[in-house]
Amino acid sequence: MPPRMHDIHLDAKDLFKRQLELAEHNYQRLKGRGVRAFNVMGAIGSGKTLLIVQMAQVLKARGVRVGAIAGDVAGDDDYRRFREAGLVAANLNTGDQCHLDAHGVGHVLEELPLNEIDVLFIENVGNLVCPADFPLGTDADVVVVSVTEGDDMVRKHPKIFAQTDVLAINKVDLAAFVGVDPHKLAEDYRKLNPHGKVVFTAARSGRGVDELLAHLGF
Amino acid sequence: MHEYSLAMGLVEALREELRRHPVNGRIAKVHVRQGELLVLSEEALQEAWRILTQGGELAGSELAIEKVAVRVRCGGCGYQGPVGYLSEQGWHFAVPVLRCPRCGGRVEVVEGRDLAIVGLSLEEQGSPT
Repeated sequence: MPPRMHDIHLDAKDLFKRQLELAEHNYQRLKGRGVRAFNVMGAIGSGKTLLIVQMAQVLKARGVRVGAIAGDVAGDDDYRRFREAGLVAANLNTGDQCHLDAHGVGHVLEELPLNEIDVLFIENVGNLVCPADFPLGTDADVVVVSVTEGDDMVRKHPKIFAQTDVLAINKVDLAAFVGVDPHKLAEDYRKLNPHGKVVFTAARSGRGVDELLAHLGF
Repeated sequence: MHEYSLAMGLVEALREELRRHPVNGRIAKVHVRQGELLVLSEEALQEAWRILTQGGELAGSELAIEKVAVRVRCGGCGYQGPVGYLSEQGWHFAVPVLRCPRCGGRVEVVEGRDLAIVGLSLEEQGSPT
């Protein structure tokens, strides 16, 4: 005879709620210092770093002080790019973790001179899967997709696109060379995320940067 | 691929719970709610659970995962409930669309990002044979 089984109810802590609490803590810390923050996500090589640098240059010209966190598995290349562009910056190596989380960002916020900045761009690890599950406590989430990744990226990673506020379709100046119609990406995104904003950018030339900033409230 | 760290979180949460409220009997199944918005592989979560629980009080236990559908609250019209899904050809899976199905307004997700242990199935020790 099989052993008798019985079920009990448990009220254990929800892991996602824990993430939300940590994110809320970051959000309050940033608000307390009057900093607006943005989580910038996207695949490796989509152009996140250059787009942040370009936004920072425009904001700087308007008298806005910009900081950035360079989230990467390893290395400090993006951090150095931010520093060279004159940004207050911090490097956040995840050591093989495929995404940033609110806990790690919280530690960086303790070290960053938040009273010296008005806007903080947090560049996530290049990945369109895992960052979707980890809110950081930012004002808005931006996802960058470059045309060179193909016109089917929204369909391939629907969950991240469904939950972000702004889509920057980057490297549109290369669209003809790689045979991709950027409007297809925009169309898929609008179906999936009717409240999301779409902007076409070419970070190298600065095209679309003003519009992207407008969608972020600048 | 963050199933391992999340499985570790579940193991720790359960161990903590068991320290405070010990149970009688072998834990055969651990019931977990998983929101459908999470990008998690069920197989990877199961495998991580198996490895992380080896040799301890949870050894041999199995995760029983229940998927939780998205539920939202609309800031505009006050609607609360499920959302519509995008399931036309080319999308492979039905994807929840985070928009109020009644007025089209902006919504807040109230369920669908859950990841929590909600119960246990215990094999009673010394049960009559």
